[in-house]
Amino acid sequence: MGFFDKLLSLLGLTGRKVNVLVVGLDNSGKTTIIERLKPKPKQAAEVAPTVGFTVDELQKGALTFTVFDMSGAGRYRTLWEQYYREADAVIFVVDSADKLRMVVARDEMEHMLRHPNLRQVPVLYFANKKDIPVAMPPVEIAQALGLDDIKDRPWQIVPSNGLSGEGVDKGIDWLAERLGK
Amino acid sequence: MAATAQDSQAPLRGPEKKDEDREDETEFSPFYGIDKGAVLQEARVFNDPQIDPRRCQQVITKLLYLLNQGEVFTKKEAAEVFFGVTKLFQKQDINLRRMMYLCIKDICPGADEVIIVTSSLMKDMNSKVDLFRSNSVRVLCKIIDGQLLAQIERYLKQAIVDKSPVVASAALVSASHLLGNNAEIVKRWINEVQEAAQNKNNMVQFHAVALLHALRASDRLAISKLVTSLTKASVKSPLAQCLLVRYVAQVIQDSQPGANGEQRPFYDFLESCLRHKAEVVIFEAARAICNLRDVTARELTPAITVLQLFLSSSKPVLRFAAVRTLNKVAMTHPLAVTHCNIDMETLISDQNRSIATLAITTLLKTGNESSVEKLLKQIGSFMSDIADDFKIVVVEAIRSLCLKFPTKQRALMNFLSGVLREEGGFEYKKAIVQSILVLIQEIPDAKETGLGHLCEFIEDCEFTYLSTQVLHLLGQEGPKTKEPSKYIRYIYNRIILENATVRAAAVSALANFGAACEPLRPRIIVLLRRALADNDDEVRDRATLHLQQLEGKAGGPDAVQPRLDVNITAMEKALSDYLAGPTDKPFDISVVPKAPPPVRASGSSALGLATSTATNSSGGAAPTSAARKDPTAEYAELLRSIPQLAPLGEVFKSCEPVALTEKDTEYSVFCVKHVYEGHVVFQFNCTNTIAEQVLEDVSVAMDLAEASDFEEAFTVPLDQMPLNGVGQCFTVVTRQPGAIATGKIVNILKFKVKEIDPSTGEAEEEGYEDEYVLEDLEVSPADYVKPTLLGNFRKAWEELDPATEKEDEYGLGTREGLQEAVEAVIGILGMQPCEGSEAVPPNARSHTVLLAGIFVGYQQVLVRMSFGIDATNNVAMKLVVRAESIELSEAIHSIIQDA
Ligand SMILES: Nc1nc2c(ncn2[C@@H]2O[C@H](COP(=O)(O)OP(=O)(O)OP(=O)(O)O)[C@@H](O)[C@H]2O)c(=O)[nH]1
Ligand SMILES: [Mg+2]
Repeated sequence: MGFFDKLLSLLGLTGRKVNVLVVGLDNSGKTTIIERLKPKPKQAAEVAPTVGFTVDELQKGALTFTVFDMSGAGRYRTLWEQYYREADAVIFVVDSADKLRMVVARDEMEHMLRHPNLRQVPVLYFANKKDIPVAMPPVEIAQALGLDDIKDRPWQIVPSNGLSGEGVDKGIDWLAERLGK
Repeated sequence: MAATAQDSQAPLRGPEKKDEDREDETEFSPFYGIDKGAVLQEARVFNDPQIDPRRCQQVITKLLYLLNQGEVFTKKEAAEVFFGVTKLFQKQDINLRRMMYLCIKDICPGADEVIIVTSSLMKDMNSKVDLFRSNSVRVLCKIIDGQLLAQIERYLKQAIVDKSPVVASAALVSASHLLGNNAEIVKRWINEVQEAAQNKNNMVQFHAVALLHALRASDRLAISKLVTSLTKASVKSPLAQCLLVRYVAQVIQDSQPGANGEQRPFYDFLESCLRHKAEVVIFEAARAICNLRDVTARELTPAITVLQLFLSSSKPVLRFAAVRTLNKVAMTHPLAVTHCNIDMETLISDQNRSIATLAITTLLKTGNESSVEKLLKQIGSFMSDIADDFKIVVVEAIRSLCLKFPTKQRALMNFLSGVLREEGGFEYKKAIVQSILVLIQEIPDAKETGLGHLCEFIEDCEFTYLSTQVLHLLGQEGPKTKEPSKYIRYIYNRIILENATVRAAAVSALANFGAACEPLRPRIIVLLRRALADNDDEVRDRATLHLQQLEGKAGGPDAVQPRLDVNITAMEKALSDYLAGPTDKPFDISVVPKAPPPVRASGSSALGLATSTATNSSGGAAPTSAARKDPTAEYAELLRSIPQLAPLGEVFKSCEPVALTEKDTEYSVFCVKHVYEGHVVFQFNCTNTIAEQVLEDVSVAMDLAEASDFEEAFTVPLDQMPLNGVGQCFTVVTRQPGAIATGKIVNILKFKVKEIDPSTGEAEEEGYEDEYVLEDLEVSPADYVKPTLLGNFRKAWEELDPATEKEDEYGLGTREGLQEAVEAVIGILGMQPCEGSEAVPPNARSHTVLLAGIFVGYQQVLVRMSFGIDATNNVAMKLVVRAESIELSEAIHSIIQDA
């Protein structure tokens, strides 16, 4: 039992079900990160680009996550909004090494946050691929995305490595705490 | 014409009836009163955070029901439902998932949206649950494009050989669907499909065999190979075996008919299927045998035997299948079916009306003269219980029976007029009217009563199309009757009472009477004047024109019904030639060949009959009498399409193909003789069987030393002999117009050979001339005679000059029986048996057969043959012939002498 699970049981949040929407540009590592959340034997060895979306049910201690893993490819981004209404939280994954498309990521993000169907749910940012040498530090990314301007909802940015799983639990812990309130 | 028939029918269907039906349905439906708006509202449950699988299933069921009722969802509604359903992927409930797959497949939002489920489906495709795997494969293949397909190809290949039969079948069926747009990819899975064809599961094997066939669909040779290997392999699944039987039947159909007497390829296989465990297979094989082209009595026998057993089965579906098949066989081989008559009679009282109807019509086709009245009584008792479709079948059977037994026409006509007065839809009434029309044309004695019935019918006819048709016929036939004046009242009533179309037809019909019967003319003129004030243009115009003509102007009375005595086909061709060339000079009709003398029965099959009447029964009607099959019609189209042959006029008769090469030679050649008034056209069907050579400029030269009545006229060469296909070249010879020229012809096939260079696969530039001597060909008197239907044999016989009569006796040696001897002689003479005389009563020791035929030049010939058989099965025959000349009578005898 990890620290996170202990925490949950301490808080008495058992058996709750939450819908989490995972978005971000294509190739940012969404599917990879979700794999890391699964128990070891169930993790897929390789991931292919997602076509459309997939949905997984994950047990993290007492909380049951229903995770909608959306495809980040351009032609599917307009479909994200179909799943906003039920979302209890959003995970936004950014490829820290993809400086070039940081503006695109910001654009998509702002578009999402403005959408009327999305409630004022917590948003967790993963600054993914932190292992890559040219990766931008989380502070710079927060700046590039203009996160400081977000006043209407709780948010957090966590550096992560989808391949090793580093940082992933930390981010989820934050989310669980938020959802527990 | 089919279109007009349909259109005219559309407004006539009783609207009240339809509503009644609908009410009956909805009363029992659990979805009664279900409303789209409400269901869409309910569909919001898909978005609930806590999903209730049972509830969601119910809603999807309702949605699917609405969709299947033809309810239309707007793009927005469809998208909303669709995205709602996608959220259900989070539940692993098997039943819910099954409904989801159906819903995604059916609701089909835009292509952009539906693609969003791809990854979810791919996940299911690798699931451990069989049902997830199978259904996701089905849905995925429906929404996928070529590029994605290439990506998931390996999963599909795996699925084809999956351990679970449902998965394997799903993949195979999906592959069949994908074949349409992605044939290249699917073809790469052939090994897996072949493996699946060995699967022990019946369903999988069935689907795999179907796919193997579909993969080769465009390649005849490959199909033939596949079928050969499958018939040797052990196909266990009954349904797969049924498919195989169908494929075999197709291969037989496509192959060249074997030389006379040679056994058909695969016939053994079909026959062995008659002993299969499964009834479906037995039936399928029996049906395939019955449908073989030019099936012989011997080939038919085992099939008929199993069908006869089915007739007394306790399962209605088997009885129906058997009786339906036998019913069809009865059209071409009535004798073969007579063995089943007793079983068939039991079926007349079958609870299932469809079975009863088919049984009775089969009996009508095979029955003999004495049973007609009894059968009519039985039909009358249930006619009101059956649907129009079956009534039409009965009517058509009655028509052919009437043609067969003209002496029974009064009873049969009465029956037809009786049913004509009863309730019925357009198609049914049309079939009755059509039948009466044919009978009037074919049986002189039936004319007056028939016209009388039709007059009564139009007094109270709600179908414009039929009224006009009958009026036209009255105009044609009425004036020729003994008492034309009695029809005038019926026709004139139409002018007073009917709609414009019918009025116009009535005006023309009246005018015909005025033109053809001088004594009636003043009265007709008075009546036509009244139509001058009609409020319809067409009616007024016709009245005006015909009045002028009857009063001697505008071409005079003869112009009321202008006669165009040209050959219509030639006319059509001449006109299109004219339009293709310069049109500065007017079209000259005198160059068009004249029509042959109007011998009514020139079309010698029942189908020919139907088309020669005023209206074509537009393909729907199957040939209905036991008329002998006539290949002429099949070839006519081909011959007409060859410009060099057009000037020869109309083909009189086409003979059965004869093989001129041995089996397994480099080239295969079959010859079909076509007899014209002054020519004989030899059509050579040529096939190149060697891929390493190209044969060009193919023609057949003839040595006519032993056939000196012929003179070679010209040839129509074939540019290239197709590889494993059939191409035609023609050689045309002349003879005295109308002459029965005979002889033996030596044929030499001439062509240019070009070898194919194996390294490039291309034919060499220069070829060399070569020739090959084909088998000899006989032209015999039998080639000049063809069967014709006859109304009244005795009358026709007495009308021919007794001086032309020629009589002789022949010993036929030992035969199997009288029936077999009769069939053999009929086959040799190629003439039409009359009055059902081809059927020998069981155990008869002697029998008389009446045959009718026409010789080239449309000269009638009639034959009366008396057969006798002794205790040792020795058969003797007396042959008496009358014809339009003594030479023709002698020609018939020489056919028998040469045989
Ligand atoms: N070096 C490095 N590679 C990563 C990391 N996370 C993911 N990747 C790789 O990035 C690629 C894309 O990962 P995915 O998880 O498919 O990305 P995605 O966001 O789901 O992409 P779409 O489904 O197309 O929207 C894969 O090759 C991963 O192995 C990381 O932390 N470090
Ligand atoms: Mg992904």
